[in-house]
Amino acid sequence: MNTTLSYEQFLKAAKEFAIISSKLCDGWKLIGEDSSQAYLIKETFIDTENKYDMLKAQYVIFYNISYGVPSFSFNLWNSSGMLLKLSELRDMSCLRINEKDFYSVITQQEHPLLHKPYFIMHPCHTDSLLAAFKDKSNNIIVTFLGLITPLIKLDLPVEYGL
Amino acid sequence: MANDREVLREIWDGKLPICFQLAQEEIMEIQQPDPFYVMVPRLSYFPLVTDKMKRHFLRFISQENSDSEMWLDYNGQPLKWHYPIGFLYDLYCGNDSQLPWNLTVHFTKFPEDILLHCPNKDVVEAHYMSTVKEADVLKHRGQVMSTMQKKDHNQLWLGLQNDKFDQFWAINRRLMESHGDNEGFKHIPVKMYSDDGICHQRLVIPKNSDGTRKTLQQMILELYPDKPDLNLRTHGIVIPPETPLQWLSEHLSYPDNFLHLCLC
Repeated sequence: MNTTLSYEQFLKAAKEFAIISSKLCDGWKLIGEDSSQAYLIKETFIDTENKYDMLKAQYVIFYNISYGVPSFSFNLWNSSGMLLKLSELRDMSCLRINEKDFYSVITQQEHPLLHKPYFIMHPCHTDSLLAAFKDKSNNIIVTFLGLITPLIKLDLPVEYGL
Repeated sequence: MANDREVLREIWDGKLPICFQLAQEEIMEIQQPDPFYVMVPRLSYFPLVTDKMKRHFLRFISQENSDSEMWLDYNGQPLKWHYPIGFLYDLYCGNDSQLPWNLTVHFTKFPEDILLHCPNKDVVEAHYMSTVKEADVLKHRGQVMSTMQKKDHNQLWLGLQNDKFDQFWAINRRLMESHGDNEGFKHIPVKMYSDDGICHQRLVIPKNSDGTRKTLQQMILELYPDKPDLNLRTHGIVIPPETPLQWLSEHLSYPDNFLHLCLC
């Protein structure tokens, strides 16, 4: 059974997603539409409840060519412009992953499109999770983010689903 | 199947002499430290072979930096530890070989926008295993890795870490088998790098549409139609363009199961 997503399917969903996002002023932008490596990016600031006060966050959704799935990556910077480390992320309230699973879910990797260190959520289960929703989904990226948001504090307006 | 054992052995035994020197601005002693010479396997990763070197330089640096993360540069270019050593050499010195390879050691100013953090060897292991897994997804939809036991995964890693050819290949041969009725992988795990180290990954099928074996030359024509004279280098060798991709993948992949090819 082939449950993976082609790049063209990803791009189509990403374009639709970017249109909905701009209507909602949610800040996601589609970059590199005409290349074979388009990705969605959003930059925002988040308030934390502890010592890190204000953080700058950058989220990137891209197409993982090996796994044939959308992938989620991000970086967080503190107010002095330092990248947060994995151990620092783990202590933060904006990530809701239990300690046992943490290092198998998120690792720091060289971003395949941006070629810099990013935290990337491991794609190995995305395929089977998305397969369950694929036929019912209006937009696979909305569905994908729906799977991610329980783990990361990412406000996804309900209007995306309409 | 990877049948040419002499080739596998030759690739495995590839070594590079390296001369490490501590960055001038880090030296806090009047006496200058001696450079540290070591012969390292091309297939290994820097964090696996630099413990002794690190200890050698630690007493020459400021005590407050002794716990900070070490990193390396070649000619001002920070070296990414998550790539195999031999690949990094081919990338930066492939056209202009210099031996020993002179590298500079740093304990401060970690370039966090370029290098991944590597607090311990577990991080190297996790990176290695996830790359092998990705390669298996490309080759066999991930079926070989997922049917292996944890002890097999360990054996693969320990074989690489301890430079044990037989231990490593006893497991790796299963990852090099073709499945189904047709000879060959679903896709070839391959990463091609331009000389700035940027890799654009593409899906590559080991066969042509008429069912014949695809050669390196045919892949180049497919991916770089405007550059038919392109050469590719790996393990210090410029690969003959008529080499079939399937054979190349089985024999010249790095232990992470990817072909890492430098455009030249």
